Amino acid sequence: MSDDIVLGCRRLAMRFHGLTALDDLDLDVRRGEMLGLIGPNGSGKTTFFNVVTGIYRASAGEIRFESRDITHSSPQAIYRAGIARTFQRSRLCLPLTIFDNIMIGNHRRLDQGLWFNLFQRGKLRRQFASSWDEARELLMTFNKALGAQLANAAGSVNMIDRRRIEVCRALVGRPKLLLLDEPSAGMTHEETNELMDDILAIRQRIPHLTIVVIEHGMTVIERITDRCIVLNYGRKLCDGTYAEVASNPDVQQAYLGKS
Amino acid sequence: MVAATKAPDRIPAVLAIVALGIFSALLLLLHDRWAPLIVVAAGAIALVVALKTGAAAHAERSFAAHERSMNAVVIAVFLGVLIALGRENFSLLMLCTVLLYGIACLGLNIQLGYCGVMNFAGAAFFGAGSYTAAVLAAHTALPHPLILLAGGLVAGLLGSVLLLPLLRTRGHYAALITVAFGILFRSFLEVNDTLGGPQGLVVPGLNLFGWSLNDPITVGGVTFSFYLNYALFTLLLAIVAFVVARRIERSWIGMNLDAVRIDAVAASTFGLNVPYLKIMAFVVGNIFAGIAGAVFAMMTGFVSPNDFDFSTSLVLIAILVLGGIGNPWGILPAAALVIILPEKLQAIQEYRFLLYSIAVIAILLFRPAGLFPRRLRRFFPVERAS
Amino acid sequence: MLGVVYAMVAVGFTLYFGVLDVINFSHADVLTAGAFVSLVAYRGLSAAGIELPFAVLGLMLVAGVAGMAALGMVIAKFFVLPLRYAPPFITLLMTLMIGTAIREAIRLFYPSGSNAQSFPALLPKTAYHWGNLLVREDTLILIATGFAVIVLVSLFINRTRLGLAIRAVAQDGETARIMGIHFEWIVLLVFALGSALAALAGVMNGLYYNEISFSTGLRLGIIGFCAAVVGGLGNMYGAIIGGFLFALLQTLSVVAMPSLSAYKDVFAFAAIILLMVIKPTGLIGEAVSERV
Repeated sequence: MSDDIVLGCRRLAMRFHGLTALDDLDLDVRRGEMLGLIGPNGSGKTTFFNVVTGIYRASAGEIRFESRDITHSSPQAIYRAGIARTFQRSRLCLPLTIFDNIMIGNHRRLDQGLWFNLFQRGKLRRQFASSWDEARELLMTFNKALGAQLANAAGSVNMIDRRRIEVCRALVGRPKLLLLDEPSAGMTHEETNELMDDILAIRQRIPHLTIVVIEHGMTVIERITDRCIVLNYGRKLCDGTYAEVASNPDVQQAYLGKS
Repeated sequence: MVAATKAPDRIPAVLAIVALGIFSALLLLLHDRWAPLIVVAAGAIALVVALKTGAAAHAERSFAAHERSMNAVVIAVFLGVLIALGRENFSLLMLCTVLLYGIACLGLNIQLGYCGVMNFAGAAFFGAGSYTAAVLAAHTALPHPLILLAGGLVAGLLGSVLLLPLLRTRGHYAALITVAFGILFRSFLEVNDTLGGPQGLVVPGLNLFGWSLNDPITVGGVTFSFYLNYALFTLLLAIVAFVVARRIERSWIGMNLDAVRIDAVAASTFGLNVPYLKIMAFVVGNIFAGIAGAVFAMMTGFVSPNDFDFSTSLVLIAILVLGGIGNPWGILPAAALVIILPEKLQAIQEYRFLLYSIAVIAILLFRPAGLFPRRLRRFFPVERAS
Repeated sequence: MLGVVYAMVAVGFTLYFGVLDVINFSHADVLTAGAFVSLVAYRGLSAAGIELPFAVLGLMLVAGVAGMAALGMVIAKFFVLPLRYAPPFITLLMTLMIGTAIREAIRLFYPSGSNAQSFPALLPKTAYHWGNLLVREDTLILIATGFAVIVLVSLFINRTRLGLAIRAVAQDGETARIMGIHFEWIVLLVFALGSALAALAGVMNGLYYNEISFSTGLRLGIIGFCAAVVGGLGNMYGAIIGGFLFALLQTLSVVAMPSLSAYKDVFAFAAIILLMVIKPTGLIGEAVSERV
């Protein structure tokens, strides 16, 4: 696996009781790029994320991350290897504080031992204090006002702030690869633009971070991605910059049907 | 965090705690038929008034803002109640039972309130601890403190054996196993003659480092009930259990347990080992129940299968739900209510399981967070809002 | 025979789980309540001097089944439906408490309810010799009835329009609603059906053993739930197989180890746990999936 490929899939397949969601998929993600993953509904984009993050077990094929085979790894192992994600349907723990929600994503950098947590309260307090500052800083890069609300319940903020919290949760663990699943789902144009600004800002702050984003809005894709891959019926249809992909007749047909 | 308002001062909470203490002491001291009823009625009216006028909420905020001193006040008031009841055998026995059930419920709370693991066999794990104590105390020379620990360990081990196979499956399978275990534990004990069968076993009294708790103590010419010894010891145990449970909640582990409860799939994508956390919560919770059960056995001097049946497990769950799932503070008042009230109001004794189930149904429908809803996690609360 | 009763209880559980994703622990206590209601009907009828066995039996059945169908709908309307957006544990707890309330109410309010009550022997008990086996006539009738009922329910669910509506709601409540299916009525219907089934099983149980008790429900409930789980929750055929399997395991353990027959519940139960370890989603498989 060449050095500039951070995630590579070969002949990846995912079948559910007769439904083939991913079909012989070959896909490479290059280091440091912002890759857009697009395609009509049901083309397998979220399924792809789920297979990569270990929630589904691939039916066939292989996935390599940083030249390590993660095809059958557990979600926990994949997280530890450095892949983090957000979910299409916002999956925050709404009854918990915003701080709690972010720190859930920091699992591998926090001390999780029973002895530490129960009996070394002084050390825990210090780790807590520095984590608090870190979470606040991270939040404030998205929204200055949010930083002050760390102690409030995640359910008390609006949709776009919740998405930001999700992204923070994914980022706090310092992943090498970030998977964003339709981050702008359910948002207005203004909110989407705001969020995209945030995502571009992430790239500024963390230049070596590789990001794959699933989106439906073509203007969004055009604006933020370096490269796009189009999926259709679980297969790769096309691969190139947005301009190349948008003008491809097969892609147009997949989205709009035969004209 | 901007503190625009001054932090509420301590007085409302202190008043509330003292009022509760006086209420409980009165209730327990009065023995005739009508006085307890009057006290309960008065208490109920006062409670409704407090809730409606917002005084209860005020007291609650005051309580939450001054945790350390409030902890001390509660302990002091409780001690006061204990001393006031110092010569009442039965009342002290009841208070001990309240505390011991409370410890078991603290354990159950870790399982259910934090991690979302359903355990309908709380009384069975409590009973496992009791029977362990019974057998070890009567047949071995193991020092009693170790026997108490052994009670906890046996309960913990039993729990892990039960749940290990089912962790990869969905929650209701595990629930099924605990319901079945809760029901079958008692039948198993009844048919088993080596463990005493339906008659049960006699258990020697607790003896800690030379202090025999069954011997009453005399201070200044006043001989107290020997149950006061047990009450003081169980109070200490309850404080330790409370601190442990609190520390678990206010740590990364507590945070992880909540994450598993609320969304296990998301939790696993962020590295949380869901089966490990569930087992840990289940085992720790059962250890609490086991230790409490061991003390219970040695205090009552007797174990029998009837004390550890499914209805008792449901009572433990009722206490948790009533007090407020996930909130350790709600456990003590709820346990007191559930255990003392039926004893004092003899008229409702027979109907108590029916009333418990109706109360839980009412809470679930109208106030699912319980009488004392759980608050947001504050890792290291300070005396004043900062 | 045991298997038939277990299977009926298991099918009931499956209905509830399939439609609402809910474990209904009050199911078994509704069974007991059904048996008691028909007992009350019997007492009433005897007091009124009506003696014809078939008429009495018929009326008892009607009383029990109709009564429980109504109770089921009340439970659904006031206690389960309001909680459908809460975490599933809450509903589970609620049904458990309702079951307890029913059980305690029977124990407290039925005269000398703590004791087992004799149930009339209204079915012929003549025994036939069939080779080496001794078979009672009432056993045959009950088994036949049980099978017939299960088949009927199965046909109803799978072959009728109403059954289709039920299955639609089970698959996806939201979409079914959009398609014009009245979600609430379907839920009420399912509860009514399940409760009627329970009442029938309760009466059958009573007729066979000639005795009912307030605690019958708890034991049968646990066994029925086990059976439903073993077959795969939500899967009706699995529930039926599970019911018979459990009865088989109990009988086997009694036969193989007669001195330990008191432990038969424990053994059958342990075997079920083993089965669940091997095949966690049940013998046939659970009918659920979660959207990620």
